[in-house]
Amino acid sequence: MRSACAIVGLGITGQGVGLGLEGRELRAQAVDLALADAGLPRDAIDGYIRAYVDREDLRYMGLSPNFSVSMMTGGATPVFSIIAAQALVEAGQAQVVACVYGEAQSAGAITGKPDIGSYGYGYPMLYGLLGAAATHAFHARRHMHLYGTTSEHLGAVAITQRDYALKRPGTLGYGKPLTLAEHQASPMIADPFRRYDCTRNTDGGVAVLVTTAERARSLCANPVYLLGAGTGHNIVNWHKGLVYENHDNVAPAKARAFAQAGMGIDDIDMAQLYDPFTISPLMQLEAFGFVGEGQGGPFYAEGGAGPDGSIPTNTGGGQLSAYYSTGFTGVAEAVLQLRGEAGEGQLKKSETALVSGHGMNAGVQNTWAHACMILGRNP
Amino acid sequence: MSTQDAAQQHPLMQAVRRYGGDPADLPFWEACASGSFLLHRCGKCERHYWPASRCIEHGDEAMAWVPASGRGQVYTYTVMHRAYTPDTRDSVPFAIAVVQLEEGPFYHSNILDCPFDAVAVGMPVEVVMQPHESGLTIPQFRPRAE
Repeated sequence: MRSACAIVGLGITGQGVGLGLEGRELRAQAVDLALADAGLPRDAIDGYIRAYVDREDLRYMGLSPNFSVSMMTGGATPVFSIIAAQALVEAGQAQVVACVYGEAQSAGAITGKPDIGSYGYGYPMLYGLLGAAATHAFHARRHMHLYGTTSEHLGAVAITQRDYALKRPGTLGYGKPLTLAEHQASPMIADPFRRYDCTRNTDGGVAVLVTTAERARSLCANPVYLLGAGTGHNIVNWHKGLVYENHDNVAPAKARAFAQAGMGIDDIDMAQLYDPFTISPLMQLEAFGFVGEGQGGPFYAEGGAGPDGSIPTNTGGGQLSAYYSTGFTGVAEAVLQLRGEAGEGQLKKSETALVSGHGMNAGVQNTWAHACMILGRNP
Repeated sequence: MSTQDAAQQHPLMQAVRRYGGDPADLPFWEACASGSFLLHRCGKCERHYWPASRCIEHGDEAMAWVPASGRGQVYTYTVMHRAYTPDTRDSVPFAIAVVQLEEGPFYHSNILDCPFDAVAVGMPVEVVMQPHESGLTIPQFRPRAE
């Protein structure tokens, strides 16, 4: 299982608010960039997986693959698409699968289309519950109650990630420092989240090309190998009455990913964890066992997730401070770091990365899918 | 007329659909309108559910709506400060709590008769029925003395 496949092409378009490009144009640019990055011709793509629903991309992009799959499991889709790409390659259905995202999320404000922040979740809407901030706030409030986590701890997550973004051109946070005082003074959105605890919607596209490890070696000098992957859905914790203690159902995902990779937590050099809100990476670091239960807040406050900490996390600024290309934000950053292409933000130790995604909150139960993978510089 | 057609023509169905609900929940909403709070229970293992569910062990072998205590505790909560829609502009800030009912399930609710900044995890609450602009009568929760 380990290293059957690798990522050989990465395409990242411009990322930001109000780019003025349609989603499909962002996807097309991402694919072109990924092909150029891999040095592959257009017709090499013989499998296409689009994060979210697709009908017309193939004609628009001039692609002629064996299949086009629309995949939707929210923010877990990007990692899931790479797992699926590997499975499809192993099943003999394709040699090069493009996993593609591109949306003009910030355009909602211009067109009057409701944006991601106004998502509703079934009957709780009767009580005014709208938006992903509120559904994640339940986890944050429970964590505060159980462990004494504070708003300042959440602020430490925001600042840790902003400090990474400061050094990363093209991100929302580039050259814009954030202080704890500014975090604390920012308006409350959905208690305990203030504005700087929330990711904002941006436009952008990301594509990666997945092929066999063997082909990857012949194609490029620095393939990024898929060493292991896992999935878990939090519905099981709804059934157990423990959904608010568990941000994601990490346990089964972690077990499979690390078993496949033949690794332990200590073998991981960096974490790129899905971070729509500050509580998200904090609780995931605990769930994966990088820090003790309930210790995520003090860990962030002491710099544990910073570049010199024990587990550098969301090292390009993450969704909170870089850009929101759903789960591809973390995938892209992991690939850049593992290839040694992270510029001024390049970590000293970057042989392995843990990447996660979560999403597709379904309603009353407030549960979502989780997918994670371990990527490595070496097979 | 099939059961499904009957559900579609039910006077509460439009409101239930508007909030992403399911025809299987209609008995719950009917009971609310007459002042009682029900939960969906598996007769084999006595696990309680909300909304209508299949039992994780017994499927739909013995699921039935049964009267519930209407008591619970605030398990977690948020206070909405940002108005995501025009109709909530005048009501923010307001609290939304997740109540853990005595029978086990979670139920989202506002907390009535309680300032938004006095809502706390562990607060004992009880149900009170309230009309909603959708036409549904909805369970709301308010603090109760222990």
